[in-house]
Amino acid sequence: MAAPPALATPGPLQQQPPATGAPAARKARLPAALIAASAAVAAVLALPLVFLLIEAHGAGTSTVAGLVFRGLTRELLWNTIRLTFVVTVLCAVIGTAAAWCVERTALPGRRVWAVLVVVPLAIPDFVVSFGWVSLWPWVQGFRGAVVVMTLAVYPLVYLPVAASLRAADPGQEEVARSLGTGRVRTFFRITLRQARGAILGGCLLVALVLLAEYGAFEILGYQTFTTEIFTEFNSFSLTSACALSLVLVLLSLIVLAGEGRLRGKGRVSRSGALAARQLSPHQLGRATIPVLAGFALLIMAALGVPVGASIYWIFEGGTHSLDGISLPGAAWQTALYGVGAAAIDTAAAFPVALLAVRYPGRARNLLERSTYLVLAMPGVVTAFALSYFTERYADSFLYQSTPLLILCYSIMFFPLALVGVKASLARAPVSLDEVARSLGQSKLAVLRRVTLRLTGPGLVAAFCLVFLSVVTELTATLLLIPTGAATLATQFWVYEQNVSYGQAAPFALAMIAVAAVPSYVLGRFFDRSAHAQR
Amino acid sequence: MTQLAMTGLYKAFGSLPVLTGVDLEVPAGSLTAILGPSGSGKTTLLRVLAGFERADGGTVTIGGTVADGPGVHVAPERRRIGYVPQEGSLFPHLSVAGNVGFGLPPRERRGRRTAELLESVGLGGLGKRYPHQLSGGQQQRVALARALAIQPAVVLLDEPFASLDAHLRASVRADVQQIFRQAGTTAVLVTHDQDEALSTADRVAVLRDGKIAQCAAPQDLYARPVDADLASFIGDANLLTGVLGAGVVQTILGSLPVDPGGTAVPPPGPVTVLIRPEQVELQAADGSRPADMGGPHGPAAAAGPRCLAGRVISYGYHGHDAVVYVQPERDTGGRAIIVRTLGGRDLPPGSPVTLRAHGPVLAWSRKS
Ligand SMILES: Nc1ncnc2c1ncn2[C@@H]1O[C@H](COP(=O)(O)OP(=O)(O)OP(=O)(O)O)[C@@H](O)[C@H]1O
Ligand SMILES: [Mg+2]
Repeated sequence: MAAPPALATPGPLQQQPPATGAPAARKARLPAALIAASAAVAAVLALPLVFLLIEAHGAGTSTVAGLVFRGLTRELLWNTIRLTFVVTVLCAVIGTAAAWCVERTALPGRRVWAVLVVVPLAIPDFVVSFGWVSLWPWVQGFRGAVVVMTLAVYPLVYLPVAASLRAADPGQEEVARSLGTGRVRTFFRITLRQARGAILGGCLLVALVLLAEYGAFEILGYQTFTTEIFTEFNSFSLTSACALSLVLVLLSLIVLAGEGRLRGKGRVSRSGALAARQLSPHQLGRATIPVLAGFALLIMAALGVPVGASIYWIFEGGTHSLDGISLPGAAWQTALYGVGAAAIDTAAAFPVALLAVRYPGRARNLLERSTYLVLAMPGVVTAFALSYFTERYADSFLYQSTPLLILCYSIMFFPLALVGVKASLARAPVSLDEVARSLGQSKLAVLRRVTLRLTGPGLVAAFCLVFLSVVTELTATLLLIPTGAATLATQFWVYEQNVSYGQAAPFALAMIAVAAVPSYVLGRFFDRSAHAQR
Repeated sequence: MTQLAMTGLYKAFGSLPVLTGVDLEVPAGSLTAILGPSGSGKTTLLRVLAGFERADGGTVTIGGTVADGPGVHVAPERRRIGYVPQEGSLFPHLSVAGNVGFGLPPRERRGRRTAELLESVGLGGLGKRYPHQLSGGQQQRVALARALAIQPAVVLLDEPFASLDAHLRASVRADVQQIFRQAGTTAVLVTHDQDEALSTADRVAVLRDGKIAQCAAPQDLYARPVDADLASFIGDANLLTGVLGAGVVQTILGSLPVDPGGTAVPPPGPVTVLIRPEQVELQAADGSRPADMGGPHGPAAAAGPRCLAGRVISYGYHGHDAVVYVQPERDTGGRAIIVRTLGGRDLPPGSPVTLRAHGPVLAWSRKS
């Protein structure tokens, strides 16, 4: 899965509330170094889009227009849009319903369900897809894609909604009831409104993931823009891939803009201090058994099938027919890429986050938000733009090289790192730095003894987020990986595509294992910091 | 000796001037309060003193050396200023002892000094706790001990008691006062609460329109404010119109002596007169008999205070005393007179009363 849990909670496009009352807004002098560093980061992030536009321009407007306005595009549009729409709606319903049941009802075993419901997020989409298709080959096409993708990504809605329900003012529901509003109407008029921003944020992520997904659809035999771009690129129809990429980026931009518009209309605020009091949970009564059955079914389908299938194929996979990099070898390679990209992103996000959190201002916010444009660049497009451009102009030393792959990861997952670093900086208010200075500490000592100590856990979280995303990344890796090298995902992919399920299965389990535990821990971290920020 | 001095301090945020020429001297060992309404620039002033903000003009001198001035800006960590910010701002990742020892050299951090400091603020034995395990008042004291640890030239406190409840506030305030007295610390405390400023500080400076309007001992400030606005900012005030003659002023409360020690007695003519609520004596009039309109010496007595009849508008009971608003029966431009009396009497609205004032009073020329 491309988008780990943390993105979900603070919502990347959510405007940070202005730091009220805090002396954060006080620094008068603008740190030129910070601005320069942030601008440089923003410029690098814009590279793929710039490359794409240069290529499109080079191909000639009429050629590109011809490639855009043809039957294939219409078909891909229809495929992509209807799938995105249906899955997003299903995820919104399932994610919200599950979150409400876990957070607001007396569901037996709530704490256990709360964990189990999130775990599927750690399973890469193409592994979920593999689990279903390898066991039941008739899971195919549109319907198969709807089932698989919904199961793979609904936690992206569940997580932020659960967090917002936990943090929402419990008094509002009680007040509504005391004013004569019924249970059901209270749910729609108050509870859903409280969670509205979180639902929208989750849906945005779901839609972006769907637009960018490659592996799962390839296994399901379902054609979307991303799979087609991939195919065209591999068959060297580069101009065509370029034209399709433009349309895909436009689609993502429309999704981003639409979410921004919808969110802007309703802002839910919480009045008064965070109450420690819990609402008394709703009794489910006779609905208890059906709800429990629903949860069991969801977990079986989203978690049981892919894990079960992997274990099944380890034992039943038959002869190991193909040569390839060993599991430890691939894991080591993956870890190297992951550490590289995570270190770069955490470091690059620091100045941008520092500028956004400590020196807010119009122009600087714009700079920070521009980095989120990366979200509109699906991995396949970023990889394609980078590889096409380097092949043309820097063939000898960059094309299909390790630095280029790491750069691609760094660009793709920068928004994740930024969310994490910003959350961590919110824990280290400027006033603490100032007190430390007045106690006779130099700037460097303050950084070491206060700022880094306070932001440390958050920086580690940001690092982990990027690392985990790299571990489960498939699309861009397939396009850019140096010849002869393999990651867990690409090696899995080779075996899977050759129907050597027995060899593929251990790689699937390894990815799940690497991602599952830390992503749960990360979820808790961001949950807590969402509370702390209030 | 002056420990901290500001001359002509100017500071603006963009086009918004906040400080427009602050002049103030803080004697060594004194506790000076800077009093101003919310948003008047108190925090800004402290931050300039601590070196977090740079003044746009003027100078700051700490212990005889210029810390902020033309071409000079001493870094915050070199000023030896103990700063206790509005929010307390304890380091959440450090224990209480870790917080207090933060500014000490590494070897002394774990030593006796930290324990002594905690002892001195009444928190002995709590060194191992973390900030979130302390009450609001305890956190304030830790922040104070942390500032005192570096043996600062001056301690700056930004509304240190604002987050405490009324009961705790009084006790922490008294403790802080005592700690400062014992250690001979020079301290500047910022507040918007007149009571707090008057009861805690040796000297009170009023910040108004970006300048220090007046700086004086609490009693002087209360008794001899430099103008009528300041008079009503510092405590309750009756501002009446009057006509100043030779040493006495004619008001509806009769003729009252003018304070000779007051700030420059104005020339004879129309004046604004300050009568503090506790300078007015209130007597319940017997409802059956019309209130004595002429005063004790008959209508002709122009040379002394005079009784004024009125009716109670409201009676605010505070336990130890009571504040009564009285509407005079004769017109005074519609303004009620505020009277402070001992508590205990019951005067429902509408009760007839008589008022009598005691001099001396302050007077300022009335503009136009
Ligand atoms: N960094 C800043 N940028 C712009 N304006 C500022 C800044 N800091 C303070 N101000 C403005 O300066 C004025 C004084 O602020 P300051 O915080 O010094 O007031 P204060 O007297 O401490 O108020 P309070 O009693 O509420 O703490 C206010 O109008 C405030 O809005
Ligand atoms: Mg303030």
